[in-house]
Amino acid sequence: MKTILLKPFEKYQETQLLAIGSLATIIGGSIAYILGGRFDGVLDFHLDSNISIPQAILDSSINIVCLVLLLFIAAKYLNVKTRLIDIITTVIIARIPLYFVPLLTIGGKLKAATTEIVALITPENIQNIQGNIPTESLVIVMIFAIVSLLFLIWSIALMYNGYKTATNAKGKKAIVLFCIALLGAEILSKILIFSF
Amino acid sequence: MNKLPINCPSCESALVVSQLLCNTCETSIAGNYSLPVLLQLSQEEQSFIFEFILISGSLKKMALQMGKSYPTVRNKLDDIIEHINQLKDS
Repeated sequence: MKTILLKPFEKYQETQLLAIGSLATIIGGSIAYILGGRFDGVLDFHLDSNISIPQAILDSSINIVCLVLLLFIAAKYLNVKTRLIDIITTVIIARIPLYFVPLLTIGGKLKAATTEIVALITPENIQNIQGNIPTESLVIVMIFAIVSLLFLIWSIALMYNGYKTATNAKGKKAIVLFCIALLGAEILSKILIFSF
Repeated sequence: MNKLPINCPSCESALVVSQLLCNTCETSIAGNYSLPVLLQLSQEEQSFIFEFILISGSLKKMALQMGKSYPTVRNKLDDIIEHINQLKDS
């Protein structure tokens, strides 16, 4: 079970990983769109009911391409034998936990809670905002944040394990390059998504 | 047959061969011979090399046979190559 959840790259062939990852990308992207959310960055999910289908496809494509590009550069630097297919499967499989995040918005409670909190934030009462936020809304937003964070950690752990398997990387240098690639991909994806 | 020990159980230094015996005529030769590099590898590494040769050196077939992914098997081979280079240099 641990292998499937955290280290599928050690066991399964690239064709299997590619098929599952591609299917998950299509299903996960569709669910996010249907539930009125978007992945507007490699580590981001935000509610946006005005998103169009082409924009949702573009968001996902940019996120995947940015991650693959920067992780592949880091991987090739560490080990010239690294194959592109192993980085592609790493990225698409590692994004699967993120596709669970939109499911947390089912029922509309999160949207209602965030709308309520945002409505309270005005230039006049910005100093006294803490005492005015309804406890129920605050709890809903906090639970969403904590559960989302767990899915994000799972996703990053999967990505690191895939990158480690693809490169046979060991030591601090591999960890530092992974962090730089991940943050670089986040910045690049944000710039690209908001440029189109 | 017993497993060939390659490290000293007391200090973990590499062992050498001090006596060889002909099983047919029982002639024994005493001396100081170092073990070949391949015999200095662990049992697991030797088994991997053995299987790799039997499968004609195909990493893809090796991965399928072992039930592991291609990069995992390639990494194993790279680690063995690194270990052999270390043994050759020492």
